[in-house]
Amino acid sequence: MAEQEGAIKPGVCIPWQEQRKEYPQIMGDEKIVRKVWEEVDTLAYLYIWACLIQF
Amino acid sequence: MSEEMEKLYQERLTRYVTAMRNEKPDRVPIRPFAAEFAAKYAGYTCQEVTHDIDLAFAAMRKCAADFNWDATVGNMVYVWTGLVDAFGMKYYTIPGIDASPDSAFQYLEPPDEENAFMKEDEYDELIADPTAFLANVWMPRISRYVGAKGEPTSYRNNLAWLKGGMAMLTYFQKFGEQNSLLRTESGTVSAIAGIFKAPFDIIADKLRGYRPLCVDIHRQPEKVIAATEALMPHMLFHAMATADPEKKVPITVWLHRGCAPFLSPDAFEKFQWPTLKKIIEDLWAQGHQILFYAEGNWNGNLKYISELPEKSIIFQVDKTDIFAAHREFGDKFCLSGGIPNDLLAFGTPDEVRSYCKKVIDGVARDGGYIMDAGAIFQDDAKIENVKAMTEFTVEYGVY
Repeated sequence: MAEQEGAIKPGVCIPWQEQRKEYPQIMGDEKIVRKVWEEVDTLAYLYIWACLIQF
Repeated sequence: MSEEMEKLYQERLTRYVTAMRNEKPDRVPIRPFAAEFAAKYAGYTCQEVTHDIDLAFAAMRKCAADFNWDATVGNMVYVWTGLVDAFGMKYYTIPGIDASPDSAFQYLEPPDEENAFMKEDEYDELIADPTAFLANVWMPRISRYVGAKGEPTSYRNNLAWLKGGMAMLTYFQKFGEQNSLLRTESGTVSAIAGIFKAPFDIIADKLRGYRPLCVDIHRQPEKVIAATEALMPHMLFHAMATADPEKKVPITVWLHRGCAPFLSPDAFEKFQWPTLKKIIEDLWAQGHQILFYAEGNWNGNLKYISELPEKSIIFQVDKTDIFAAHREFGDKFCLSGGIPNDLLAFGTPDEVRSYCKKVIDGVARDGGYIMDAGAIFQDDAKIENVKAMTEFTVEYGVY
Protein backbone atom coordinates (compact mmCIF):
# COMPACT_ATOMS: atom_id res chain seq x y z
CA MET A 1 0.00 0.00 0.00
CA ALA A 2 2.75 2.41 -0.85
CA GLU A 3 1.74 5.88 -1.95
CA GLN A 4 1.31 6.03 -5.71
CA GLU A 5 4.41 7.15 -7.52
CA GLY A 6 3.96 10.56 -9.09
CA ALA A 7 0.63 11.09 -7.35
CA ILE A 8 -0.20 14.56 -6.08
CA LYS A 9 0.47 14.57 -2.36
CA PRO A 10 -2.28 14.94 0.22
CA GLY A 11 -2.77 18.57 1.18
CA VAL A 12 -2.15 19.78 -2.37
CA CYS A 13 -4.58 20.79 -5.12
CA ILE A 14 -2.16 22.41 -7.55
CA PRO A 15 1.51 21.59 -6.88
CA TRP A 16 3.93 24.50 -6.67
CA GLN A 17 5.91 23.12 -9.59
CA GLU A 18 2.85 23.59 -11.77
CA GLN A 19 1.97 26.99 -10.36
CA ARG A 20 5.58 28.18 -10.79
CA LYS A 21 5.13 28.03 -14.55
CA GLU A 22 2.48 30.75 -14.28
CA TYR A 23 5.10 33.35 -13.33
CA PRO A 24 7.45 34.53 -16.09
CA GLN A 25 9.85 35.51 -13.33
CA ILE A 26 10.00 35.93 -9.59
CA MET A 27 12.19 38.88 -8.83
CA GLY A 28 12.30 38.41 -5.06
CA ASP A 29 12.47 35.42 -2.75
CA GLU A 30 10.71 32.48 -4.40
CA LYS A 31 10.46 30.65 -1.08
CA ILE A 32 8.06 33.28 0.29
CA VAL A 33 5.85 33.08 -2.77
CA ARG A 34 5.85 29.30 -2.62
CA LYS A 35 5.11 29.13 1.12
CA VAL A 36 2.05 31.36 0.88
CA TRP A 37 0.80 29.62 -2.26
CA GLU A 38 1.06 26.21 -0.63
CA GLU A 39 -0.59 27.29 2.62
CA VAL A 40 -3.65 28.68 0.86
CA ASP A 41 -3.73 25.78 -1.58
CA THR A 42 -4.01 23.47 1.43
CA LEU A 43 -7.06 25.42 2.64
CA ALA A 44 -8.78 24.71 -0.67
CA TYR A 45 -7.77 21.07 -0.35
CA LEU A 46 -9.24 20.88 3.15
CA TYR A 47 -12.46 22.49 1.96
CA ILE A 48 -12.93 19.88 -0.75
CA TRP A 49 -12.17 16.96 1.53
CA ALA A 50 -14.21 18.35 4.42
CA CYS A 51 -17.21 18.52 2.08
CA LEU A 52 -16.69 14.84 1.30
CA ILE A 53 -15.93 13.61 4.80
CA GLN A 54 -17.79 15.95 7.12
CA PHE A 55 -20.83 17.40 5.32
CA MET B 1 -13.32 31.75 33.65
CA SER B 2 -13.66 31.11 37.35
CA GLU B 3 -11.01 29.05 39.10
CA GLU B 4 -13.73 26.70 40.26
CA MET B 5 -14.93 26.06 36.71
CA GLU B 6 -11.41 25.46 35.45
CA LYS B 7 -10.83 23.02 38.31
CA LEU B 8 -13.99 21.16 37.32
CA TYR B 9 -12.87 21.11 33.70
CA GLN B 10 -9.47 19.69 34.61
CA GLU B 11 -11.06 17.03 36.83
CA ARG B 12 -13.30 15.97 33.99
CA LEU B 13 -10.52 16.02 31.43
CA THR B 14 -8.39 13.80 33.67
CA ARG B 15 -11.33 11.42 34.25
CA TYR B 16 -12.10 11.21 30.54
CA VAL B 17 -8.53 10.82 29.33
CA THR B 18 -7.71 8.25 32.03
CA ALA B 19 -10.63 6.07 30.96
CA MET B 20 -9.72 6.42 27.28
CA ARG B 21 -6.22 5.17 28.06
CA ASN B 22 -7.96 2.06 29.48
CA GLU B 23 -7.04 2.98 33.03
CA LYS B 24 -9.18 3.52 36.13
CA PRO B 25 -10.28 7.12 36.84
CA ASP B 26 -12.16 8.31 39.97
CA ARG B 27 -15.46 7.34 38.37
CA VAL B 28 -16.93 6.28 35.04
CA PRO B 29 -16.93 9.36 32.80
CA ILE B 30 -20.13 10.39 31.01
CA ARG B 31 -19.76 11.47 27.39
CA PRO B 32 -23.09 11.54 25.54
CA PHE B 33 -23.31 12.46 21.87
CA ALA B 34 -26.62 14.30 21.67
CA ALA B 35 -27.99 15.55 18.36
CA GLU B 36 -31.63 16.62 18.02
CA PHE B 37 -32.14 15.60 21.64
CA ALA B 38 -30.41 18.85 22.63
CA ALA B 39 -32.89 20.84 20.55
CA LYS B 40 -35.84 19.11 22.18
CA TYR B 41 -34.40 19.65 25.64
CA ALA B 42 -33.71 23.34 24.98
CA GLY B 43 -37.11 23.94 23.37
CA TYR B 44 -36.10 24.32 19.72
CA THR B 45 -37.37 22.56 16.62
CA CYS B 46 -35.14 20.48 14.38
CA GLN B 47 -35.47 23.20 11.76
CA GLU B 48 -34.23 25.86 14.18
CA VAL B 49 -31.05 24.02 15.15
CA THR B 50 -30.32 22.85 11.61
CA HIS B 51 -30.60 26.35 10.18
CA ASP B 52 -29.38 28.51 13.04
CA ILE B 53 -26.00 27.28 14.20
CA ASP B 54 -26.03 29.63 17.20
CA LEU B 55 -29.21 27.99 18.49
CA ALA B 56 -27.68 24.55 17.96
CA PHE B 57 -24.64 25.55 20.00
CA ALA B 58 -26.79 27.17 22.71
CA ALA B 59 -28.89 24.01 22.99
CA MET B 60 -25.80 21.84 23.50
CA ARG B 61 -24.38 24.20 26.12
CA LYS B 62 -27.66 24.05 28.01
CA CYS B 63 -27.59 20.24 27.91
CA ALA B 64 -23.98 20.09 29.02
CA ALA B 65 -24.59 22.47 31.91
CA ASP B 66 -27.89 21.02 33.12
CA PHE B 67 -26.91 17.35 32.84
CA ASN B 68 -23.38 17.90 34.17
CA TRP B 69 -21.78 15.70 31.53
CA ASP B 70 -18.03 15.26 31.69
CA ALA B 71 -17.57 15.57 27.96
CA THR B 72 -19.68 16.02 24.87
CA VAL B 73 -19.57 17.39 21.33
CA GLY B 74 -20.42 21.05 20.76
CA ASN B 75 -22.94 20.20 18.07
CA MET B 76 -23.98 16.88 16.58
CA VAL B 77 -26.55 18.33 14.17
CA TYR B 78 -23.72 18.65 11.72
CA VAL B 79 -25.78 19.55 8.67
CA TRP B 80 -25.80 23.31 8.98
CA THR B 81 -27.99 24.72 6.24
CA GLY B 82 -25.77 27.77 5.99
CA LEU B 83 -23.15 25.57 4.37
CA VAL B 84 -24.98 22.74 2.66
CA ASP B 85 -27.62 24.97 1.10
CA ALA B 86 -25.10 27.62 0.04
CA PHE B 87 -23.24 24.95 -1.91
CA GLY B 88 -26.49 23.38 -3.05
CA MET B 89 -25.74 19.89 -1.74
CA LYS B 90 -28.39 17.57 -3.10
CA TYR B 91 -27.97 14.70 -0.71
CA TYR B 92 -29.77 16.00 2.35
CA THR B 93 -33.37 16.51 3.22
CA ILE B 94 -33.48 19.59 5.40
CA PRO B 95 -36.04 20.11 8.16
CA GLY B 96 -38.28 23.01 7.30
CA ILE B 97 -37.49 22.79 3.56
CA ASP B 98 -38.16 19.32 2.22
CA ALA B 99 -38.83 17.66 5.57
CA SER B 100 -41.04 18.55 8.50
CA PRO B 101 -39.61 21.23 10.83
CA ASP B 102 -39.76 18.54 13.54
CA SER B 103 -37.80 15.89 11.64
CA ALA B 104 -34.06 15.40 11.76
CA PHE B 105 -32.12 15.90 8.53
CA GLN B 106 -31.63 12.78 6.43
CA TYR B 107 -28.84 11.71 4.12
CA LEU B 108 -30.03 10.51 0.70
CA GLU B 109 -27.54 7.99 -0.56
CA PRO B 110 -27.39 7.35 -4.32
CA PRO B 111 -29.58 4.25 -4.68
CA ASP B 112 -28.43 2.97 -8.06
CA GLU B 113 -25.96 3.31 -10.92
CA GLU B 114 -27.95 5.96 -12.70
CA ASN B 115 -27.87 8.27 -9.70
CA ALA B 116 -24.40 7.42 -8.39
CA PHE B 117 -22.17 10.46 -7.87
CA MET B 118 -19.30 8.43 -9.32
CA LYS B 119 -19.89 6.10 -12.25
CA GLU B 120 -18.68 2.51 -12.49
CA ASP B 121 -16.07 3.37 -15.13
CA GLU B 122 -14.56 6.31 -13.23
CA TYR B 123 -12.35 4.45 -10.76
CA ASP B 124 -9.18 5.20 -12.72
CA GLU B 125 -9.91 8.93 -12.71
CA LEU B 126 -10.52 8.88 -8.95
CA ILE B 127 -7.37 6.86 -8.31
CA ALA B 128 -5.16 9.08 -10.50
CA ASP B 129 -5.95 12.28 -8.59
CA PRO B 130 -8.66 12.00 -5.94
CA THR B 131 -8.72 15.73 -5.12
CA ALA B 132 -9.14 16.77 -8.76
CA PHE B 133 -11.82 14.12 -9.20
CA LEU B 134 -13.75 15.49 -6.24
CA ALA B 135 -13.49 19.10 -7.45
CA ASN B 136 -14.14 18.45 -11.13
CA VAL B 137 -16.56 15.54 -11.13
CA TRP B 138 -18.03 14.86 -7.70
CA MET B 139 -18.77 18.40 -6.54
CA PRO B 140 -20.67 19.38 -9.71
CA ARG B 141 -22.76 16.24 -9.35
CA ILE B 142 -23.66 16.76 -5.70
CA SER B 143 -24.38 20.48 -6.09
CA ARG B 144 -27.44 22.11 -7.57
CA TYR B 145 -25.34 25.10 -8.59
CA VAL B 146 -21.85 23.97 -9.56
CA GLY B 147 -21.30 23.33 -13.25
CA ALA B 148 -19.31 20.40 -14.58
CA LYS B 149 -15.80 20.91 -15.91
CA GLY B 150 -15.94 22.39 -19.40
CA GLU B 151 -19.46 23.72 -19.04
CA PRO B 152 -20.07 27.48 -19.22
CA THR B 153 -19.75 29.05 -15.78
CA SER B 154 -22.58 30.94 -14.11
CA TYR B 155 -23.20 33.44 -11.36
CA ARG B 156 -24.72 30.64 -9.25
CA ASN B 157 -21.66 28.45 -9.83
CA ASN B 158 -19.23 31.15 -8.80
CA LEU B 159 -21.22 32.10 -5.72
CA ALA B 160 -21.60 28.47 -4.63
CA TRP B 161 -17.83 28.05 -4.36
CA LEU B 162 -17.42 31.39 -2.61
CA LYS B 163 -20.31 31.00 -0.19
CA GLY B 164 -19.44 27.39 0.59
CA GLY B 165 -15.89 28.31 1.57
CA MET B 166 -16.97 31.30 3.62
CA ALA B 167 -19.67 29.28 5.34
CA MET B 168 -17.25 26.51 6.29
CA LEU B 169 -14.82 29.06 7.69
CA THR B 170 -17.65 30.56 9.76
CA TYR B 171 -18.76 27.14 10.97
CA PHE B 172 -15.39 26.06 12.27
CA GLN B 173 -14.62 29.45 13.81
CA LYS B 174 -17.87 29.21 15.72
CA PHE B 175 -17.06 25.64 16.72
CA GLY B 176 -13.83 26.83 18.32
CA GLU B 177 -15.75 29.47 20.25
CA GLN B 178 -18.30 26.83 21.28
CA ASN B 179 -15.59 24.59 22.72
CA SER B 180 -14.25 27.52 24.75
CA LEU B 181 -17.74 28.33 26.04
CA LEU B 182 -18.35 24.72 27.05
CA ARG B 183 -15.17 24.92 29.08
CA THR B 184 -15.82 28.28 30.75
CA GLU B 185 -19.59 28.04 31.27
CA SER B 186 -19.96 24.48 32.48
CA GLY B 187 -16.48 22.96 32.71
CA THR B 188 -17.37 20.49 29.96
CA VAL B 189 -14.68 18.84 27.86
CA SER B 190 -15.00 18.92 24.08
CA ALA B 191 -14.92 15.17 23.55
CA ILE B 192 -13.39 14.76 20.11
CA ALA B 193 -11.30 16.57 17.53
CA GLY B 194 -10.48 15.38 14.07
CA ILE B 195 -12.33 13.10 11.73
CA PHE B 196 -11.86 10.60 8.97
CA LYS B 197 -13.83 7.85 7.33
CA ALA B 198 -12.77 4.41 6.26
CA PRO B 199 -11.97 4.66 2.55
CA PHE B 200 -14.43 1.88 1.76
CA ASP B 201 -17.18 3.68 3.69
CA ILE B 202 -16.65 6.95 1.88
CA ILE B 203 -16.89 5.20 -1.48
CA ALA B 204 -20.13 3.60 -0.31
CA ASP B 205 -21.58 6.75 1.26
CA LYS B 206 -20.68 9.57 -1.06
CA LEU B 207 -19.22 8.25 -4.30
CA ARG B 208 -20.70 5.04 -5.63
CA GLY B 209 -23.48 4.37 -3.13
CA TYR B 210 -23.64 1.13 -1.19
CA ARG B 211 -25.64 -0.88 -3.72
CA PRO B 212 -23.51 -0.02 -6.77
CA LEU B 213 -20.39 -0.63 -4.67
CA CYS B 214 -21.65 -4.11 -3.79
CA VAL B 215 -21.74 -4.86 -7.50
CA ASP B 216 -18.23 -3.44 -7.94
CA ILE B 217 -16.68 -5.67 -5.28
CA HIS B 218 -17.65 -8.62 -7.47
CA ARG B 219 -17.16 -7.17 -10.96
CA GLN B 220 -14.06 -5.03 -10.42
CA PRO B 221 -12.62 -5.84 -6.98
CA GLU B 222 -9.10 -4.71 -7.90
CA LYS B 223 -10.37 -1.24 -8.76
CA VAL B 224 -12.23 -0.99 -5.46
CA ILE B 225 -9.11 -1.96 -3.52
CA ALA B 226 -6.97 0.47 -5.54
CA ALA B 227 -9.47 3.24 -4.83
CA THR B 228 -9.38 2.58 -1.07
CA GLU B 229 -5.59 2.75 -1.25
CA ALA B 230 -5.70 6.00 -3.23
CA LEU B 231 -8.05 7.58 -0.68
CA MET B 232 -6.11 6.36 2.34
CA PRO B 233 -3.37 9.06 2.47
CA HIS B 234 -6.00 11.77 2.11
CA MET B 235 -8.01 10.38 5.02
CA LEU B 236 -4.83 10.34 7.06
CA PHE B 237 -4.00 13.93 6.11
CA HIS B 238 -7.51 15.16 6.91
CA ALA B 239 -7.48 13.36 10.25
CA MET B 240 -4.14 14.92 11.20
CA ALA B 241 -5.15 18.40 10.01
CA THR B 242 -8.26 18.38 12.19
CA ALA B 243 -6.86 16.58 15.25
CA ASP B 244 -6.24 17.84 18.78
CA PRO B 245 -2.68 19.23 18.73
CA GLU B 246 -2.32 18.30 22.40
CA LYS B 247 -3.27 14.70 21.53
CA LYS B 248 -5.61 14.37 24.50
CA VAL B 249 -9.01 13.86 22.87
CA PRO B 250 -9.39 11.34 20.07
CA ILE B 251 -9.88 11.58 16.34
CA THR B 252 -13.14 9.89 15.36
CA VAL B 253 -13.70 7.43 12.57
CA TRP B 254 -17.42 7.09 11.95
CA LEU B 255 -17.97 3.55 10.71
CA HIS B 256 -21.23 2.38 9.25
CA ARG B 257 -20.57 -0.12 6.47
CA GLY B 258 -17.97 -2.47 7.87
CA CYS B 259 -20.20 -4.89 9.70
CA ALA B 260 -22.79 -7.49 8.74
CA PRO B 261 -25.26 -7.31 7.12
CA PHE B 262 -23.52 -4.66 4.98
CA LEU B 263 -20.27 -6.60 4.62
CA SER B 264 -19.44 -10.17 5.50
CA PRO B 265 -16.33 -10.59 7.67
CA ASP B 266 -14.50 -11.96 4.60
CA ALA B 267 -15.40 -8.89 2.52
CA PHE B 268 -14.51 -6.65 5.46
CA GLU B 269 -11.09 -8.29 5.65
CA LYS B 270 -10.51 -7.80 1.95
CA PHE B 271 -11.99 -4.37 1.20
CA GLN B 272 -12.33 -2.30 4.34
CA TRP B 273 -9.92 -3.49 6.96
CA PRO B 274 -6.48 -3.12 5.28
CA THR B 275 -6.66 0.64 4.74
CA LEU B 276 -8.68 1.33 7.89
CA LYS B 277 -6.15 -0.55 9.98
CA LYS B 278 -3.22 1.22 8.35
CA ILE B 279 -4.68 4.69 8.97
CA ILE B 280 -5.29 3.87 12.64
CA GLU B 281 -1.80 2.45 13.05
CA ASP B 282 -0.26 5.54 11.45
CA LEU B 283 -2.27 7.95 13.59
CA TRP B 284 -1.45 6.01 16.75
CA ALA B 285 2.23 6.03 15.82
CA GLN B 286 1.94 9.82 15.86
CA GLY B 287 0.30 9.78 19.28
CA HIS B 288 -3.37 10.14 18.37
CA GLN B 289 -6.04 7.88 19.82
CA ILE B 290 -9.00 6.98 17.63
CA LEU B 291 -12.62 6.81 18.68
CA PHE B 292 -13.67 3.74 16.69
CA TYR B 293 -17.33 4.61 16.29
CA ALA B 294 -18.63 1.20 15.30
CA GLU B 295 -22.22 1.76 14.27
CA GLY B 296 -24.26 -1.43 14.03
CA ASN B 297 -23.31 -4.89 15.25
CA TRP B 298 -19.59 -5.69 14.98
CA ASN B 299 -19.69 -9.08 16.73
CA GLY B 300 -18.32 -10.76 13.62
CA ASN B 301 -15.37 -8.37 13.33
CA LEU B 302 -14.01 -8.33 16.88
CA LYS B 303 -11.01 -10.54 16.08
CA TYR B 304 -9.82 -7.98 13.53
CA ILE B 305 -10.16 -5.07 15.94
CA SER B 306 -8.00 -7.02 18.39
CA GLU B 307 -5.11 -6.68 15.96
CA LEU B 308 -4.81 -2.94 16.62
CA PRO B 309 -2.12 -1.65 18.97
CA GLU B 310 -2.99 -1.55 22.65
CA LYS B 311 -4.77 1.70 23.67
CA SER B 312 -4.87 2.93 20.07
CA ILE B 313 -8.68 3.04 20.01
CA ILE B 314 -11.74 3.62 22.13
CA PHE B 315 -14.28 1.12 20.83
CA GLN B 316 -17.79 2.58 20.68
CA VAL B 317 -20.43 -0.08 21.23
CA ASP B 318 -23.67 0.43 19.36
CA LYS B 319 -25.37 -2.94 18.79
CA THR B 320 -22.23 -5.00 19.34
CA ASP B 321 -22.39 -7.33 22.36
CA ILE B 322 -20.54 -5.16 24.87
CA PHE B 323 -19.68 -8.12 27.07
CA ALA B 324 -18.23 -10.03 24.13
CA ALA B 325 -16.21 -6.96 23.15
CA HIS B 326 -14.94 -6.68 26.73
CA ARG B 327 -13.89 -10.33 26.73
CA GLU B 328 -12.21 -9.97 23.34
CA PHE B 329 -10.19 -6.82 23.96
CA GLY B 330 -11.17 -5.23 27.27
CA ASP B 331 -7.57 -5.58 28.38
CA LYS B 332 -6.38 -3.59 25.35
CA PHE B 333 -8.98 -0.91 24.64
CA CYS B 334 -11.39 1.36 26.45
CA LEU B 335 -15.05 0.73 25.57
CA SER B 336 -17.71 3.43 25.35
CA GLY B 337 -21.46 3.46 24.85
CA GLY B 338 -23.52 0.29 24.85
CA ILE B 339 -26.72 1.71 26.33
CA PRO B 340 -29.27 0.91 23.60
CA ASN B 341 -30.80 3.94 21.90
CA ASP B 342 -34.18 2.22 21.76
CA LEU B 343 -34.05 1.77 25.52
CA LEU B 344 -33.52 5.52 25.92
CA ALA B 345 -36.42 6.14 23.52
CA PHE B 346 -38.94 3.56 24.70
CA GLY B 347 -37.79 2.30 28.11
CA THR B 348 -38.40 3.62 31.59
CA PRO B 349 -35.86 5.28 33.92
CA ASP B 350 -35.79 2.13 36.05
CA GLU B 351 -34.99 0.00 33.00
CA VAL B 352 -32.24 2.45 32.02
CA ARG B 353 -30.69 2.37 35.49
CA SER B 354 -30.84 -1.43 35.49
CA TYR B 355 -29.10 -1.64 32.10
CA CYS B 356 -26.44 0.87 33.12
CA LYS B 357 -25.75 -1.22 36.23
CA LYS B 358 -25.37 -4.34 34.12
CA VAL B 359 -22.90 -2.61 31.83
CA ILE B 360 -20.86 -1.00 34.60
CA ASP B 361 -20.72 -4.28 36.54
CA GLY B 362 -19.84 -6.23 33.42
CA VAL B 363 -17.20 -4.13 31.71
CA ALA B 364 -16.12 -1.20 33.90
CA ARG B 365 -14.77 -2.84 37.05
CA ASP B 366 -11.17 -2.04 36.17
CA GLY B 367 -11.80 1.28 34.44
CA GLY B 368 -11.60 1.67 30.69
CA TYR B 369 -15.27 2.43 30.14
CA ILE B 370 -17.14 5.62 29.18
CA MET B 371 -20.89 5.89 29.67
CA ASP B 372 -22.92 6.80 26.59
CA ALA B 373 -25.77 5.63 24.43
CA GLY B 374 -24.92 3.17 21.69
CA ALA B 375 -25.09 5.86 19.05
CA ILE B 376 -25.75 9.57 18.66
CA PHE B 377 -29.19 10.16 20.08
CA GLN B 378 -31.91 12.19 18.46
CA ASP B 379 -35.15 13.67 19.70
CA ASP B 380 -36.73 10.31 20.38
CA ALA B 381 -34.62 9.80 23.52
CA LYS B 382 -36.69 10.60 26.60
CA ILE B 383 -35.30 13.35 28.77
CA GLU B 384 -36.01 11.37 31.95
CA ASN B 385 -34.08 8.39 30.55
CA VAL B 386 -31.02 10.44 29.64
CA LYS B 387 -31.20 11.95 33.10
CA ALA B 388 -31.42 8.46 34.63
CA MET B 389 -28.37 7.28 32.65
CA THR B 390 -26.40 10.31 33.81
CA GLU B 391 -27.42 10.37 37.47
CA PHE B 392 -27.04 6.62 37.93
CA THR B 393 -23.50 6.75 36.55
CA VAL B 394 -22.53 9.65 38.80
CA GLU B 395 -23.74 7.66 41.84
CA TYR B 396 -22.88 4.07 40.94
CA GLY B 397 -19.87 4.62 38.70
CA VAL B 398 -17.55 5.82 41.47
CA TYR B 399 -14.44 3.67 41.91
